Amino acid sequence: MISFLNPLLLFGILGAIIPIIIHLINKKKAVSHKFAAIDFILQTNKRISVKFKLRQLILLILRASLLAFLAMALARPFMKNFIGGAPEKNVPTSNVIIVDDSYSMQYSEDNESFFMSAKTAARGVINNLTKNDDAAVITCSSLGSQVLPELDYDKKNLLNLIEQLQPGFATTHIVPALDAAVEILTSAKASIKRIFLLTDLTRNGWDIDWFKSGNEKLRSHVSNIHIVDLSEGRELKNIAVTHIEPQINVSERSAESTLKVVVSNFTPTRVKNLLAQVFLDQKKVAQGFFNIEPNASETKEFYFSVEKGKGHTGWVEISEDNLNTDNKRYFAINTSNKLDALLIDGDPKTNIYESETFYLEKALNPGREHASSIKPTICSIHEVKNFDFANFDIVFLCNVETLPPEKIHELDKFVKEGGSVIFSLGNKVDANYYNNSFGTLLPHRLHTTRTFSSDSPLSEEQPLHLKTAEPIHPALRILSETNMNTLSSVKFYRVFYVDPTPLGNCKTVLSFSDDTPAIIERQVDRGRCVLFTSSVDRDWTDMPVKPFFLPLMQQLCRFSTGNIAEEIQNETLVRHDWQVLCPEEINSLEITNPEGAKAVLQPQLIDNEKSFLYSETNIPGIYTVTVDEKPHPQFPSYFQVNVDTTEANLAKINQKELTAILGGVNLTITTSPVSEGSEVLMGEAKKTLWGTLLFLALCILFVESFVSRK
Amino acid sequence: MPENPFDPVTLSKIASMELRARLVVDGVLSGIHKSPYKGSSIEFLEHKEYSPGNEIKHIDWKVHARTDKYYIKEFEEETNLKCYIFLDTSGSMEYKSTGISKFEYAATLAASLAYLLLKQSDMVGLISFSDKVLQYVPPRSRITHLHALLNTLTALKPAGKSNTSVILNEFIEKISRRSLIILISDFFDDTNKVINQLKYFQFKKNEVILFHILDPYELTFPFETITYFESMEDERRILADPKSIKDRYLSGINRYLEQFKQACFENQIDYWLIDSSTPMDQSLIKFLARRESASRPLHKS
Repeated sequence: MISFLNPLLLFGILGAIIPIIIHLINKKKAVSHKFAAIDFILQTNKRISVKFKLRQLILLILRASLLAFLAMALARPFMKNFIGGAPEKNVPTSNVIIVDDSYSMQYSEDNESFFMSAKTAARGVINNLTKNDDAAVITCSSLGSQVLPELDYDKKNLLNLIEQLQPGFATTHIVPALDAAVEILTSAKASIKRIFLLTDLTRNGWDIDWFKSGNEKLRSHVSNIHIVDLSEGRELKNIAVTHIEPQINVSERSAESTLKVVVSNFTPTRVKNLLAQVFLDQKKVAQGFFNIEPNASETKEFYFSVEKGKGHTGWVEISEDNLNTDNKRYFAINTSNKLDALLIDGDPKTNIYESETFYLEKALNPGREHASSIKPTICSIHEVKNFDFANFDIVFLCNVETLPPEKIHELDKFVKEGGSVIFSLGNKVDANYYNNSFGTLLPHRLHTTRTFSSDSPLSEEQPLHLKTAEPIHPALRILSETNMNTLSSVKFYRVFYVDPTPLGNCKTVLSFSDDTPAIIERQVDRGRCVLFTSSVDRDWTDMPVKPFFLPLMQQLCRFSTGNIAEEIQNETLVRHDWQVLCPEEINSLEITNPEGAKAVLQPQLIDNEKSFLYSETNIPGIYTVTVDEKPHPQFPSYFQVNVDTTEANLAKINQKELTAILGGVNLTITTSPVSEGSEVLMGEAKKTLWGTLLFLALCILFVESFVSRK
Repeated sequence: MPENPFDPVTLSKIASMELRARLVVDGVLSGIHKSPYKGSSIEFLEHKEYSPGNEIKHIDWKVHARTDKYYIKEFEEETNLKCYIFLDTSGSMEYKSTGISKFEYAATLAASLAYLLLKQSDMVGLISFSDKVLQYVPPRSRITHLHALLNTLTALKPAGKSNTSVILNEFIEKISRRSLIILISDFFDDTNKVINQLKYFQFKKNEVILFHILDPYELTFPFETITYFESMEDERRILADPKSIKDRYLSGINRYLEQFKQACFENQIDYWLIDSSTPMDQSLIKFLARRESASRPLHKS
């Protein structure tokens, strides 16, 4: 059946009567001429007149059909596709309109984004429905947190819903959307069930594997899928800031920050002199130019100073292009508070390299180039009485044989009031003494030592290695993947086994390769105690010379003192959760998003830990963290949320691939421009005919000129 | 550039038929023969009182002796030819595409021929006809007869159908002497019947000259647009696309002309096809020159 996109223009067919009128007028107005030799005309009349009349008739038909074809071509006819598409008007249909609201839909040309076009198309679909048709509107990105809508007959409601749709900043998730659409349509009563997918057809949203099993669902529950390619089949070009990595070097007075910026060019042409600017606390602090080869990336480093002891926020932005969402990337730097650590050396040596605390001290404060916010103070067992634990945030007992009873009592009080203690063991440690003297502080009772390694005369077995416990302990979360991978390279020649009873409230930070605990921790009142079941010098292990020893020790300090907030926050992506451990004394946390909307978080138990979880990371930008409307030392002042740059690559999935992965599903793909009144939107356009009609009109014009000239 | 006085369009501007005839004939004669015309014999006609300017040699001295008054003798030139001009005045002759209709052209030709013949003292008569005789002016040789002829010609209005053969049939018995028969027509008629009738004239030793007058449009059919062609002699009317019928029309009329001409030639009828756009002097010069070369001159040198 033929339908028309601009049916009003069909009135133009009336133009076909113009040649007929002209013909009749000409016939009427034919010049009369008195002619003497009329007999000779009459002699030819019978033969010529028929030919003449026939020619006139042919010309008349040609001219009339020329105008009619032109009018029909302008009315843009197309053949309707009935394969699962729109049936007779009175057969009810159920429809799910999926609007792709990923940030690539903000790609705009001529001030109209794909998302705006998608809304126009969605309105068009709704307006084309009859009163017997019902529909639901869903978006690609909000499905995780949204209750699936029900099919609705009320067009007004549906149009309002579409009007309220806002472009998102998440990535494309076509598959969950299709899943949801199928679920909605499964309960639909109408015999014809259609899905309208309004998208820019960028490749990254399509999980090809899903379709291996998902196709069956689509085939059995959906009559037709109509994909409207709002990019109209064009290749899309984009340049994006795909990665930033701030690093901070703290000295006594100030901090120097290095910002590594990666800009990617997703176009087939070279980018020259692309301006990138770095802003810190709303002020421009650096700028540079990028020259990037086609479909490649370039990395540059920017340097600037930051003030110590406070949080800083900033962003990097590049010049505008068609998709501006990924041209800006945010970062947050939290220069944390100083921690005072007391390191009680139970085995001091004249040669400081052999002292128990030598490596630990270097790990906590490596020096000028890698200055940290932890200030270690070393003392021996004999000097310990001169130090008041209350002046410190954390106390390390490193291979300490004994402590004076009053100091043990002070330590107990110190922990209960919120201090932290970390036990590291060694050959001077007596398990019974520890179990008896530090019973309330030790995360778990010590049992016995065991020696490994064939090299050692005490050898029994191969040395132990480290491995992470499941789930990964929060104290280890900031360790890089490289550091985590080197855990297995650490050798432990001697370790203390803890009592083989259940650990109770203890949590394992790291385990040995034989699954016995290596580092365990336990909350004690307001404080926290950590037990490292080997030595922090090289007597029992080579761990102190391994790269991850430094971040591990620093992180243990921060974790046990509740200063888990990192100086450099790991990037949180849009619609990804931001999570932070909840200290005992904190009952609520406030998050203010970049638009100023405030959310109050209550602690919740996640992996057996009290944590704050924030999921409303819907927009990129800087989020502010406060407790009672003030920054809190145990939390970062800010964290940044950025868009996922997998969406920045706007490579398209082509129609052939779509047809292949949706094999067996009744599929219609429209790449032509859409308007609200367009019937193409309904997926009924199988084949457009205006090209054929224009060709016919051209042929007629040619024949007409030939016939009329003869 | 001065106008050609013999151009049919120019001639059509001259209202007086006499002037037209004089202009054509005097011009033609002065062009082809400059010697004054001299009659071979003359007969006394009447006396006329002398007036200054008359030639003295024509004074009749005998009358002067009897009456003491000067009279001059007027003579009627002796004629050796009686000419009948048949002029078709049917409706088709009224057709004109340019400034002069076929009838006007034919009438001017008839007047010119009459003037030419009367000037050399031949007797000239005129029969105008359509499907019947409209006017008959018996032949006379007096130069004053020209007025009668010209007045008749001027008063003629073409109308009606033509039926030349019937008219010719009527005059076969009336024309007994060896006469010159000049037939001027467009011959949109049954030419076979016309030829058959003319054969009788030939049989009676009459000389027959046909002037076939056609309009240039009838010969070339240059029409472009769709046209209702209307008959000039009856109510017939036909819509046609000239472009599409032109070839067949021209083929038809040329075949007709060729056949007519061939029939005339076979019956020793002098046939002259004249395009009404041709200057009158050219037509006459061509005609007279051919006649002269064929030792059948129409005028006396």
